[in-house]
Amino acid sequence: MKLTEHQINELYIFTRKHYVYHYDVQTELVDHLANDIERIWIASPKISFEEARDTSFKKFGVFGFMDVITAKQKQMNKRYWKIIWRFVKEWFTLPKLLITITIFMSVYILLQFPISSYFILGALSIGVIAEIVMLFKVRKQRKVKEENNEKLFLLEDMIGSTKNGYTGLVFINLFNIVSTSRLDFSDSGFFWQLVFSGTITLLIILFNVVNYVLPEKAQELLEETHPEYKLVKKL
Amino acid sequence: MSNQRLYKGSLQTIILKLLATNDRMYGYEITQKVKELTKGQLNITEGALYPALHKLEANELLDVEVVKVGNRFRKYYKLTKTGSKETINKLEEMQEFLKTMQELVCPKFSLE
Repeated sequence: MKLTEHQINELYIFTRKHYVYHYDVQTELVDHLANDIERIWIASPKISFEEARDTSFKKFGVFGFMDVITAKQKQMNKRYWKIIWRFVKEWFTLPKLLITITIFMSVYILLQFPISSYFILGALSIGVIAEIVMLFKVRKQRKVKEENNEKLFLLEDMIGSTKNGYTGLVFINLFNIVSTSRLDFSDSGFFWQLVFSGTITLLIILFNVVNYVLPEKAQELLEETHPEYKLVKKL
Repeated sequence: MSNQRLYKGSLQTIILKLLATNDRMYGYEITQKVKELTKGQLNITEGALYPALHKLEANELLDVEVVKVGNRFRKYYKLTKTGSKETINKLEEMQEFLKTMQELVCPKFSLE
């Protein structure tokens, strides 16, 4: 006996109730449960759908789907960073390399001024505010999607809100470090000025890639990462 | 089975080997195939299988294909080029391990 369309949808709801929020993770689990339920029905045809589903779910152990979710998140984190580096690397090849050099030189010149730390604190504050505004936007979009029962993909969520930890919190931490250490960059010597300039340049590029480039290319990246994305969009 | 934990460290090698001989497989199929090949001796749990598959995918040893089968989507895994090479390495490692274990558990005695 095969599962009906309605029962498949029930399984999607079941996984959602067990903290699996993303469609790509749900899909694999739903197929697994469906296969197992069908096998259970071969041996015991009189068992109800719910009973067979619960028997199958128990096989995932005491933590239910948690191990699967954690492993999938780890895998996607790795993938997300790989995507970030793919775009960051572009900034170190021509023609973008010229912009990178300009940013680096500008930061280096800025660090020569005794009040440079105030500029950095100001820039970090702007970064935090920009991040908060973006986060609100993304949260709103996500809420609309949830209300419309649209399918959410793990990478989509990473691009939109979690950003693998590279969020405004990083800037808040940097803000704290710069303000509490009272660093005078202009007095730190040539070597450290180069190191600071390089680090700040890299942070600016990362900020741009994470907050602007990836959201812009989200559709393309989702199609590339989740083979089911295209299929679902066609439905 | 009480000896399940002995197999634990070999799960990735088992998956790679299966995919090397079966082209593409989906999660549930892997659990059933292992059960069938080992005559029920080894039972890969769901909680261990998917994390292992996702890890192999993250390490670019596996590629994924999604196909609509009946009224649901099915995710198939298959070896990448790197995955095929890694399978050979892992199987060699496994052979070495088995040889060492054999020597440890049943040492050959010699009069030399």
